[in-house]
Amino acid sequence: MFRNSLILPLLVAVATFVASAHAEVVVVVSSKSSVKSLTSEQTTKIFLGKVVTFPNGQTAFPIDQPEGSAIRDEFYSKVVHKNSSQLTAYWAKVIFTGDGRPPKLLADNVAVRKAIAGNPNAIGYIDKSAVNRSVRVVLKP
Amino acid sequence: MPKKYFLVIPFLFAAGISVAEAEQKDISTSGTVKVGKAGAKKAAVHASASASVPVITGASAPEAATAITPAPAPATSVGKGGADKTTTPVAPASTDQPMFKFSGFGSLGVSHSSLDQGDYVLSDSMPKGVGRSSEWTESNNTRLAAHVAANFTPKVSGILQVDAEYQANGTYSPRVEMANVKYAFIPNFYMRVGRLAIPTFIDSENHDIGYSFAWVNPPVDLYQLSIHSIDGVDATYRSEIGEAVNSIKAMYGNKSTSKDMWGLFDKLEYGQATFHAGYQQRRSSTQNLLTGVTDAWIQNSDLSVGASYDPGDWFAMSEWIQRRSTFKINAMYISTGYRINKFTPYLTYGQIGPGSFLTGYPPPTAAAIERANRAQSTVSLGVRWDFRRNYDFKIQYDQVTLSDNSNGYLINVPPGVILYGSKFHVISAVVDFVF
Repeated sequence: MFRNSLILPLLVAVATFVASAHAEVVVVVSSKSSVKSLTSEQTTKIFLGKVVTFPNGQTAFPIDQPEGSAIRDEFYSKVVHKNSSQLTAYWAKVIFTGDGRPPKLLADNVAVRKAIAGNPNAIGYIDKSAVNRSVRVVLKP
Repeated sequence: MPKKYFLVIPFLFAAGISVAEAEQKDISTSGTVKVGKAGAKKAAVHASASASVPVITGASAPEAATAITPAPAPATSVGKGGADKTTTPVAPASTDQPMFKFSGFGSLGVSHSSLDQGDYVLSDSMPKGVGRSSEWTESNNTRLAAHVAANFTPKVSGILQVDAEYQANGTYSPRVEMANVKYAFIPNFYMRVGRLAIPTFIDSENHDIGYSFAWVNPPVDLYQLSIHSIDGVDATYRSEIGEAVNSIKAMYGNKSTSKDMWGLFDKLEYGQATFHAGYQQRRSSTQNLLTGVTDAWIQNSDLSVGASYDPGDWFAMSEWIQRRSTFKINAMYISTGYRINKFTPYLTYGQIGPGSFLTGYPPPTAAAIERANRAQSTVSLGVRWDFRRNYDFKIQYDQVTLSDNSNGYLINVPPGVILYGSKFHVISAVVDFVF
């Protein structure tokens, strides 16, 4: 009985810790962009290079984060529904057949946010905690 | 030494490096001179394939890529208000990537067949396979490919891909698999000239990239029928239809065994579903068909359709083809797989039906009848394991059943040996990689 009463709070504590350590990804565009919101499907098409514009017709420049980063894995599993090997397999097909190139990479949340703030065509994903007024959240997966 | 030096200069010029820079680099080491010469050789190979010398002249001097400044950003990417002092402007993603990108892929594998009276092959251009010629062989599942992609301007790009794999002459000597230059009038409409892959099936263009699919090899009953590439021209137009993305491609070209090939291919992607359809016609050399037809060339056509659904955790796909020559033949497969972390077990059923001769042609020869009757079915069970980044390991078990009057796709069956109706199995294991 005594034991059980200890386990529950412990579990809650562990769960809270795991949840906070886990990145919470959001998709952002520049605050100067006219894009207000996007669906997961629209975001997926942009990041997989299937479309080159936002739904409003404006040119879209997706910006990726480095391979192996937690935020990247989070974004692709939650929004695009692909793990890192599925994504590599997808791009292998696209690159080797000459159909396209993967998005440009920037080092981290801050680099992505700064790049996006300065370019109304850019779109990227960053951790929720890195959002400031220079960017607009268009999708919370 | 001076001769070598003169050879290098034009190529560096073409690559956009100033002479002053070139002198500094070339005088310092003779190694650089060698690189230049190797590049010159490659350029000659490539020029004959697609008439685009700049692809390789640049590639021979990778430093050139960094020396060239990216094209300026389109006007649309400039902010309206401009001055936000906390922000750093960035060039659009499509223009500030390196001009040349080197990459490649490969597979290293072995297979074994339980049947020793014929060779099991994945492509009927192979002179030997597994079974009769050897109990175990690497030749069905081993390949190395090098790829260069070049972005000259936002509108002009090109690719060159050289594959080393077991081929008709029984060697692994490298050959140009793809070499083409692409001009994009707008991002969604482009034309290509050179050696092009034919998208007969969903995975035709990438049939050689093991890493790009779950199987050890694309379903053999169907994919053995595809012609991989053609020297010619194609045009592709991509459009959005509501939530769906449609891509339509028209193609024309020739190769040694096929003349005046033209085709129309469409791919529609809607959410996680992909639909594919294609129609192609060509005049095929009758040399291989042995149909009893006396003309050297005969009209062939392929109609292919397919669909796949891949929501992430699992996938299912199916494709079908009908080929019409002097005979008509149908083939299909259906495949499904489930992804559990790094493991993807999958199950495939494929079959090619008996050929039926069309009316209006001379009576077929015995060889033609045998050729047309490749009816067989295959059940494949396998698993892909993504054991580390950019690598996978796969193991696959195939059970092949030959039809009552067919040796299927088996080759090197000795005269007089009748394997009709037999059943055998093949085991394959392969490591695929991309780099």
